[in-house]
Amino acid sequence: MLASPVSLALTALLAPGAVALLLAVATPLRNRKSAIVLSVLAALSSLVAAILLVKGQLTPTPPQLLTVPWLLQGGVPFAEIGLRIDGISASMLLVVTFVASCVQIFSVGYMHDESPPAQGRYFTYHSLFLTAMNILVLAPNLLQLFLGWELVGVTSYLLIGYYYRKPSAAKAAVKAFWVTKFADMGLLIGLLVLRSKTGSFDWDATITPQAANLVTLLLFVAVMGKSAQFPLHIWLPDAMEGPTPVSALLHAATMVAAGVFLIVRGWPLFELAHSTRAFMLGLGSVTALLAATMALFQNDIKKVLAYSTCSQLGYMIAALGAGSLLGGFFHLTTHAFFKALLFLGAGSVIHAVHSNDLRDMGGLARKMPVTTLTFVIGALSLAGLPGLAGFFSKDLILEAVGEHGFSLWLVLLLVSAFLTAFYMGRLLLRVFFAPATEKSSHAHESGGFLLLPLGLLAVPALATGYFGGMFGQLYGTAYHFHLGNIGILAAGLGVLGLLLSYVLYRHRAEHPALLAPLGRLIEHGPMDRLYEGGFHRVALPFAALVGWIDRYLVDGVMNLTGLAFIVSGQKIRRIQTGIATDYVLATVGGVLALLLYGVMR
Amino acid sequence: MSLEMLQPIAVELSICGGAIVLLLVDMYLPDGARKHLASLTALLLVVALYLSTRFDGQGAIGTVYFGSAFTQLCKRLLIVATLGAVLGGRDFIAKVAPRRQGEYYFLILMCLTGMMLLPGARDLILLIVSFELMGIPLYVLTAFVRDEASPERRLAATKQAAEASLKLYLVGAASTTVTLFGLSLLVGGAGSTRLDALLAAPATPLHIAGLLLVLGGMGFKIGAVPFHMWVPDTYQGALTPVVAFLSVAPKAAGMATLMVLSVKAVPSSIWQPALTVLAVVSMTVGNLMALPQRNVKRLLGYSGVAQIGYMLLALCVGGSYALAMLLFYLCGYVVTNLGTFLVVHAVADREGDDSLDGLSGLARRSPWLGLSLLMFLLSLAGIPFVIGFWSKLYLFMAVYQAGQGWLVVVGAVLAVVGLFYYLQVARAAYMVAPAKPQPLQVEPWLAVMIVVCLLLVTGLGAYPGPLLEVCQQAADALLLGR
Repeated sequence: MLASPVSLALTALLAPGAVALLLAVATPLRNRKSAIVLSVLAALSSLVAAILLVKGQLTPTPPQLLTVPWLLQGGVPFAEIGLRIDGISASMLLVVTFVASCVQIFSVGYMHDESPPAQGRYFTYHSLFLTAMNILVLAPNLLQLFLGWELVGVTSYLLIGYYYRKPSAAKAAVKAFWVTKFADMGLLIGLLVLRSKTGSFDWDATITPQAANLVTLLLFVAVMGKSAQFPLHIWLPDAMEGPTPVSALLHAATMVAAGVFLIVRGWPLFELAHSTRAFMLGLGSVTALLAATMALFQNDIKKVLAYSTCSQLGYMIAALGAGSLLGGFFHLTTHAFFKALLFLGAGSVIHAVHSNDLRDMGGLARKMPVTTLTFVIGALSLAGLPGLAGFFSKDLILEAVGEHGFSLWLVLLLVSAFLTAFYMGRLLLRVFFAPATEKSSHAHESGGFLLLPLGLLAVPALATGYFGGMFGQLYGTAYHFHLGNIGILAAGLGVLGLLLSYVLYRHRAEHPALLAPLGRLIEHGPMDRLYEGGFHRVALPFAALVGWIDRYLVDGVMNLTGLAFIVSGQKIRRIQTGIATDYVLATVGGVLALLLYGVMR
Repeated sequence: MSLEMLQPIAVELSICGGAIVLLLVDMYLPDGARKHLASLTALLLVVALYLSTRFDGQGAIGTVYFGSAFTQLCKRLLIVATLGAVLGGRDFIAKVAPRRQGEYYFLILMCLTGMMLLPGARDLILLIVSFELMGIPLYVLTAFVRDEASPERRLAATKQAAEASLKLYLVGAASTTVTLFGLSLLVGGAGSTRLDALLAAPATPLHIAGLLLVLGGMGFKIGAVPFHMWVPDTYQGALTPVVAFLSVAPKAAGMATLMVLSVKAVPSSIWQPALTVLAVVSMTVGNLMALPQRNVKRLLGYSGVAQIGYMLLALCVGGSYALAMLLFYLCGYVVTNLGTFLVVHAVADREGDDSLDGLSGLARRSPWLGLSLLMFLLSLAGIPFVIGFWSKLYLFMAVYQAGQGWLVVVGAVLAVVGLFYYLQVARAAYMVAPAKPQPLQVEPWLAVMIVVCLLLVTGLGAYPGPLLEVCQQAADALLLGR
């Protein structure tokens, strides 16, 4: 081996970081094609470093740590920053850099029509995002993970809001940021609790099970936001307003998976926290089912995929809740590949049809053979067709959940598996095999920059399942595939879902009458309205109320009580009309309240 | 009395002397040369900063004043804040009030003298005199009017400035009355004007009432709810460079004084519950009232009220660590808020529009100004890699470790609410198309000051260690010294 793991990890981290910094500062570089070249090259060098890193980790080695004490306070470091290189971080790094490279190559073709400065901006954000993600993945402790996590959040805000002239995109960016940020509070408080219970930010510090439950529960709130778990999933469908490659990167493979990665990383804590894991198992299963149901009724191709992502993340959370580290992380990996493939495929379709709407599509199988082939591979992998990547990882999860006997959660997950196949079947039929529409009849196959990443991603979407042993080794657990009853049942349900969708949607776009009431309920979007209304109906009126109390109630109370003050108040009133008197009275009211407290104590 | 005795306040004396010289010079200057007064003021401040390193500023002057690492930190912070406001507003003041420049800088320097004396004051007489020395110039400064050409516009500007000043004055006068009344109760009970005598005095009802009245008066100085009513109106009405100064330096001085009082003069059992309520109410009202604001200066006014609430959180916890983190938060707040107001000044006063729309498309018109604003907003909101993040993290940590977990939860929830309006400003700058497409020109000194703030906000965000050390030493000096 030529390069040491540390230098490889540093390369992976610093290459995109340096490019992001360079492009942010040097406007002339950013405004030309050079921005694209630099950004893609940086992503590719990160990828090569990650591949070499994984190769090195295949032989069992102890984790390598490179840390520098940071934030010295009275000679004692408050925290450390640096790198932690082990099987988990290396394999996550591989997933992130591989998908990021594919997405960036895809973007070269996809964003071709934008002006050069706009493209430069776009690729700068991409490099910055990759840097943030790598900071998160390589973090040696929770504090650095949190720093990367927040930076990822800020960058995602920029990427989702990229079409900032479009009001809906700007709104979606704000919403995504706000919801995830709200959840991040949990992570912040969790950090504080961890630090005060153990004296460090390390996830393998000694901790009592009770404290572990508290810390992990707080961390899990942040995971719910980032990984779009019910009821904090609401930002994800809206975030589809961003450019499609951005969705592939953020909402399939990297950012939303960061939540699951946090649990994987913090496994020493989560392993002890039985209550938190029980909650995770339940919530993950419920999310998997709810999101799968919603995916069925979407007509926007990207929203189908967005809800599908929620649902699959639910699977991962459930697996980790059931105690299967391998199941959760393996599904994260396979899902990253096939979902990125699906999003990019959707991007290729949207690029050709100039619409997101399923009803505008159809008949693309003949016109776009490569896109169709790769998309079908991705969809079948997601649907869990035996032999494809998604089947193996999903089987692992179902086995883990079913290990403790038959439970409600297992049923929910099995039903979701059926629904997944069902809605993906519908999607495939409507997009590629239904009769062509006016819009789709002029579509033609996309160019090389768009097709190359599709091909590259199709390979792992097909074959990752056969490398379970390798991944098991990386995570330090054993993996043996064996087909149990649950696996056969899941495969059967998947095939059944596909067949049923073929029967129902072969000749028509509408949903069958039986499903119509459910569809109406979901389109109504009760959850979303609740949140939308929350801000306008609660926060703003509350502000108004506080202002009103400030100005009038204090004044009113004053007029009723402090007689002496009223006399002085009247005098000021004569000098200056208007609300200035109220201001003074508020002050006096505050003082009176303080005195009242003094009397009461 | 020998001259060496005055060594702890040598810097204050030099600034006060310099201010008088400046006023004399101004009398003999021709109109055209008045623009150099700003440079003279800045030079004086730089010299004062240098002097603060030459004199260690430690030691006592009788029982009246006590200099320590704590007062040194506060003084330097105040000088830096004033320097930023003076240089940042230099060209604007020369333009809008050309004939009154001498007066303007004299007032700022006198205000600074008062503020710098506060953290070391250990006697009520010095305390109240310093407070008035700080406060009275502010009433005049907020009344500065733009020199408009047309009579109607001049009248409108005069009205606005008069409103800003009068509101500050009315509430300020009420607060001073309250404070003085409280102090008279305290002195009557303790029989001495020394702070340590107050601490030793028996907690009679009158004594407690006195302490709480003083707390109310202090609440006005820092703009805590419900003594904050002047904040939004004064911020909106006064000239932006004045607001940049007003929003950081007096608040820092007030907060430092509050720290001194809470450590040296007041048993914690009396103030602590009241401070907790003030903190929670300030955070809540500040953050919520900022939400619907469309005027940037008003919005930042409420944001300042909220920020004060966070600082009070650390104050009500108390102890060496929490006080150190409070000082750290204060430093971060001063740098960030100053930078924010300077950017607003650069944009709003040029365009004559201080609503959110005035900032629209800032990132297009001047990328570096947009980036600076974004960084300042992120810092105010507490997002990583800028100093504001560490401020919040450390402060919450201190509060949590003191066993006040629920206060952390309240603070964290409201910090997220705060994000919403900070993002509104960032959105206007980055995601709204500009009303006027032409690039924005910024005067050189204003640009330099914004860049300095930007470098401090990002630099200290990347490496806050050294500042933390200084703050910890200062807090220990306050606790252990006299």
